[in-house]
Amino acid sequence: MPCPEALRVQAYFDAEVDAVAAADIERHVEGCEECREHLADLERARSALRRDLTDFRASPALRARISRALDAESRAAAAQQRPSGRARWRTPPFWMGAVSGVGASAIAAALVLLLLTPLLNNPLVDDVTAAHMRSLMPTHLIDVASTDKHTVKPWFAGHADVSPVVADFADAGYRLIGGRTDYLEHQRSAVVVYQHGAHVINVFSWVANNRRLPGSATRDGYHLLFWQTGDLEYCAVSDTGWDELQGLAQLMKNLSLHDRPG
Amino acid sequence: MDDKRGRFEAQVLPHLDAAYRFARWLARNPGDADDAVQEAFLRAFRAFDTLRGSDAKSWLLAIVRNCTATALKGQQRRAFVELPTDEEPQADEAMIATTPDPESAAMRRDDERTLDRLMASLSAEHREVLVLREIEDMDYREIATVTNLPIGTVMSRLARARAALKSRWLQESEAKPHAVP
Repeated sequence: MPCPEALRVQAYFDAEVDAVAAADIERHVEGCEECREHLADLERARSALRRDLTDFRASPALRARISRALDAESRAAAAQQRPSGRARWRTPPFWMGAVSGVGASAIAAALVLLLLTPLLNNPLVDDVTAAHMRSLMPTHLIDVASTDKHTVKPWFAGHADVSPVVADFADAGYRLIGGRTDYLEHQRSAVVVYQHGAHVINVFSWVANNRRLPGSATRDGYHLLFWQTGDLEYCAVSDTGWDELQGLAQLMKNLSLHDRPG
Repeated sequence: MDDKRGRFEAQVLPHLDAAYRFARWLARNPGDADDAVQEAFLRAFRAFDTLRGSDAKSWLLAIVRNCTATALKGQQRRAFVELPTDEEPQADEAMIATTPDPESAAMRRDDERTLDRLMASLSAEHREVLVLREIEDMDYREIATVTNLPIGTVMSRLARARAALKSRWLQESEAKPHAVP
């Protein structure tokens, strides 16, 4: 039968008790042989682990990989801060026409802050926006390029953790151009890539995890529209307008209604 | 942006070895540990603005823990590993050290192997609190942050982990009396 003070002795050993409790425990240990042994065991195990456990270190190769990944990430963020001239005239931010002049950016910043305050703590919005921005860097947009859903859908089976709705809605103006996987929500989420006019729309999908989804959000000038179908959560992201995003989401929702077996 | 990168490198990058050690004890092999740590750093960088003065090491290790868990879950679901690892050869299931260790003498290596093997035989739950407490020297509150457990649970789990290690240790010394210190 272990001494009832064993946990307190451990806490004492781990320096988790204040001076008064420490003195109390020390008095107990003096009179309790079992706890004296316990204390000695704790000390032996600690020094053995610190001395003899293999001291793994990150390899220089890993260090370099991380540095490269951070470079790419910083570039994506910087590119977002300075949109290219082409992107600017094609996709003026919605507030650009309404406000101009010295106070414009301050007003816009205040407005964005006001709109986003309830969402600032939602890492999902950040993650999806960052993934979208990264996808717009050269060669990052598409892993499998195809306008054929029969090519894109099976590709996800081998590369992502989910199998989302995939269809070409070229008739409605949303041309399927390919698919990609991104690490999101602790899983390999599937990203279906559409072209709408001059805009790229990424539709992310991942297994729902019971977290409350934001309905929509605007981050860094991009619109994010979330919805859930079955056990999958979707997010469409683009610099296109809200109506265009809603249109695509509606098409996908309709399709999953028809597709649902049983 | 460069400022963010600079602050990240000053506050988070110093914990790379700790992150790797932790991942290495949770993942099945060096390649998985590398992948989990890289993913963790990318996520940490994206979420860096949420750090706000709290303890960077605990914060980072919590992310590493999530990334490692996701990698393990993915492997259980799938028979094959999707991304090839290029730096280190894949180790087998057991978590015996494969890293070269030039400075340690043969005897030290024996002790290391024994202890590595004992650690590898523990459950992941026990292994992680032991590594955090004894190797990373984190206090209960920090361990609670990393593992997302109440402090009381950290304390009792640590006690069970230490008891489990001791009993493996005793089994080992009965089988091979000279093998343990």
